[in-house]
Amino acid sequence: MTLTLQTQPPAYVLVEGLRESASVSTVRRAAPDGWAREELLLRKLGPKGWGRVYHFRNYYASGWGENGRVLSPKALDAFFRFVENANFPAGKSSPSVFLTDRGGIELCWEDRNGKSVQVEFSATGAEFYQAATDEEGMVTFNDLARLSQHLAA
Amino acid sequence: MSLAPNEDVVRAVCTDKWDGERLSPSLFVGQDISLSRLAITSLADHWDLFRQFVQKPPERWLELIAEINVGQLQAIGAKQNPAVVLTVEPKPVDWNPAHAEIPQRISRGLANKILPELKIHRPAPTERE
Repeated sequence: MTLTLQTQPPAYVLVEGLRESASVSTVRRAAPDGWAREELLLRKLGPKGWGRVYHFRNYYASGWGENGRVLSPKALDAFFRFVENANFPAGKSSPSVFLTDRGGIELCWEDRNGKSVQVEFSATGAEFYQAATDEEGMVTFNDLARLSQHLAA
Repeated sequence: MSLAPNEDVVRAVCTDKWDGERLSPSLFVGQDISLSRLAITSLADHWDLFRQFVQKPPERWLELIAEINVGQLQAIGAKQNPAVVLTVEPKPVDWNPAHAEIPQRISRGLANKILPELKIHRPAPTERE
């Protein structure tokens, strides 16, 4: 007797926006998960930063504020990867974390000279601003490590 | 008709944009930024209005009210390179007849020039319920 499996349609189909090319996923460093992420936030942003991220993830439902969007999982993932790579100046106060109306997460701190540095992670990439040079721009998720180095320079 | 340069406008600052130390630049980044006119509703009444309609406890509290003069806002836009013409348009809504908006898109760089010019109002220590 031969066992045959019937071909069935997949239980779900991943929408285009969530797909990632194989080459990108193999090159990019994996984001820390679970407890490692919690520990990372506590170490780099302190209890206040950790608490705010927890708050934004768990208590800001869709439509918060003036039609605010819920925190984007892609933005949060990029945020974690950036924080893991970032070196914030020692002796300064911990970076601040904000939730943006479009469902992004924003990180603000000061460089060694006390000038503001900001990165907002959204569902499509990261927008940055450096007060020292009055430079602003946008990078893709693949360039987060380079952005971290650029802002630390 | 756009607001006159001598008008003062305010913006609610809630927990998501203030962490007790820094103000979020995204408070002024983007298009159609909501403001409210002091010429129509007093600052004291704005505290009540924003508490009733903008803050959403327990996750989102009204922390501060940020004020700026329309002419001052326009001067900041004019100094930007390239210059940005900023206007404030009255946009009354059901819950707030003083509501107004900045229709132009404000970049992060420009928002960072606006932030230091804001006059920050804090609630009285006993006002947070």
